[in-house]
Amino acid sequence: MPKLLEFRNFSMGFKDDDGTVHNLLNNVTFDIEEGRAVGIVGESGCGKSVTNLSVMRLLPRSAVIQGGKIIYRGQNLLKKTDKEMEDIRGKDVAMIFQEPMTSLNPVLNIGFQIGEVLKKHRPDMNEEQIKNAVTNQLELVGIPSPEKRLKQYPHQFSGGMRQRVMIAMATICQPDLLIADEPTTALDVTIQAQVLDIMNRLKDKGSLMLVTHNLGVVAEICNDVVVMYAGTVVEKGSMDEIFDNPCHPYTKGLMAAIPTLSSGKEELYSIPGTVPLSNKFSAGCRFADRCSQYFDLCQDKVPPTRQLSASHYVQCWLDFERRE
Amino acid sequence: MANYLIRRILKALLTIFVSATIVFFIIRLMPADPVTLLVDPKMGPEVQQAMMQQFGLDKSIGLQYVIFIQQTLSGNLGISFKTREPVTTVIMQKLPWTLLLLFIVVTLTLVIGIPIGMLAAKKRDGLFDKFINVLIVMGISIFIPFLSFAFLYFFAYYLKLLPTGGAYTPPPAKGFDYILDVARHAILPSLTLFIGNVATIILYTRNSMIDVLKEDYIRTAFSKGWNEKYVVRRHALKNALIPTITVAGIMIGSMVGGAVMTETVYGWPGVGRLIYDSVSSMDFPVLQGAFITLAVSVVVMNIIADLVVAWLDPRIKLGG
Repeated sequence: MPKLLEFRNFSMGFKDDDGTVHNLLNNVTFDIEEGRAVGIVGESGCGKSVTNLSVMRLLPRSAVIQGGKIIYRGQNLLKKTDKEMEDIRGKDVAMIFQEPMTSLNPVLNIGFQIGEVLKKHRPDMNEEQIKNAVTNQLELVGIPSPEKRLKQYPHQFSGGMRQRVMIAMATICQPDLLIADEPTTALDVTIQAQVLDIMNRLKDKGSLMLVTHNLGVVAEICNDVVVMYAGTVVEKGSMDEIFDNPCHPYTKGLMAAIPTLSSGKEELYSIPGTVPLSNKFSAGCRFADRCSQYFDLCQDKVPPTRQLSASHYVQCWLDFERRE
Repeated sequence: MANYLIRRILKALLTIFVSATIVFFIIRLMPADPVTLLVDPKMGPEVQQAMMQQFGLDKSIGLQYVIFIQQTLSGNLGISFKTREPVTTVIMQKLPWTLLLLFIVVTLTLVIGIPIGMLAAKKRDGLFDKFINVLIVMGISIFIPFLSFAFLYFFAYYLKLLPTGGAYTPPPAKGFDYILDVARHAILPSLTLFIGNVATIILYTRNSMIDVLKEDYIRTAFSKGWNEKYVVRRHALKNALIPTITVAGIMIGSMVGGAVMTETVYGWPGVGRLIYDSVSSMDFPVLQGAFITLAVSVVVMNIIADLVVAWLDPRIKLGG
């Protein structure tokens, strides 16, 4: 299957007030194949959102790209001019943000904010056509009486409705790649399910890069999984490979932390410790000091990335059985 | 909307009433006694008595206050101790001059201040922004009389380019020459007031613009593919201007009361100068009148600023 997006040894970091750059993403490498949904999982602070924003080239000012490539349809996005990026954003690659409450402009009405995407990328459409397209799109994401809603402002929408508006906005140009950054985190559970349902329907039209720390969401939607820890890809593979045969101790930990119906009332497993800050990363494996199978080598040398099957890779010093 | 306006106006009336009361008592707390200034010892006691009666000074403070409030409500601000003219007439003579200055200064301040503030925010921490920051600190902290004297010395005395004071060269010229003459006289006072006010406007615009540019919805706008120019204009400007408008409202309101120091140094015949003169000559009724004018204009401008903000920001529900 042709590759839509390829991360190739992408590294970036953040500059602090003294101008020192602290590396965050280190040699991030993974692919998104055309028409597939990839889930990027990991705890908060693992660099998932930064990975997303790197694709859109919307990183904050303090971010510094240290190397590697992000290739979209054969072209390195990092080499594009600002003007070329503007033509890609919203049209080819679109993004749904985590916080529906703050991601919409409070002083502009919904119709305008969605229509804006078409105004930018579809100069052939007139006002009337844009209005109709926006109304249809709102209907598609399940907003009742969309005609009336066009003139309303974000504060007149509930959280779930706003996230639907965000989805409508991101998908109105039918992008090839839809990036969703924890699209359901800020919503309550019933609304989460509805929003996931909408995303599930829309993902068939293109590829999806879904960032989440909710493995349940991944299982429901994704074909492939990339597990990130402290700015590194520790394990990646197809959904089945990761869920049935997690290899990296971190992935295993994440899996063990999912509550199941049979888990009863005993305390849920949790990985001890927290993700280190980017200025406290160890020279070797960044997970070393939280790892239960840690040995001396882990602290000193970055572990190699090993291929376990055609699509299953793990970055760890432990020995794993290669499966075909 | 109508409901909101009525409540807002009632609140405004209360504010004006309270400030009128404070003005009345504060003036009477001044250590000097107007009677001794007003009454010539050479006058006969009957004349003295008649004068005291004319100005209501023979009554107790409490009664004076009741009369003052009654009269103010009916639009009568009393009679000037000094010129024996009605206070409203005195203020109305001075107000146009202050309004002229105000119009020039506010227009310049907003037209120049807002774009500079936006640009500084867009290029924050850059060379331009750092330079503007220095200017803001200087503009806000400079002592107005000092600036006025410096301007006077340089432009009027040293370069002899501009007049030293007043609003026109007496006797007033006719037609276009008169306008030109007034304009020449207005340059220095306008410039002085402009410097202090524009610094405030730039500061507010810049800071709120920087805050707004960090908002999530700005990132959303960029994610749609729009360039910075569009995002700033369509998505940031409206939000960023809200604090600026509130500040501008207060600024305009308080400038109706005249810029006391600026008008005094330049001899500009406006309300500010009137306040200064009235303090020197213990002209209580005029002083009261000027302060009430000031209070009314601040309150009115505040309402207008609130309405503009409500128009910009749909989250503010006027009905609720």
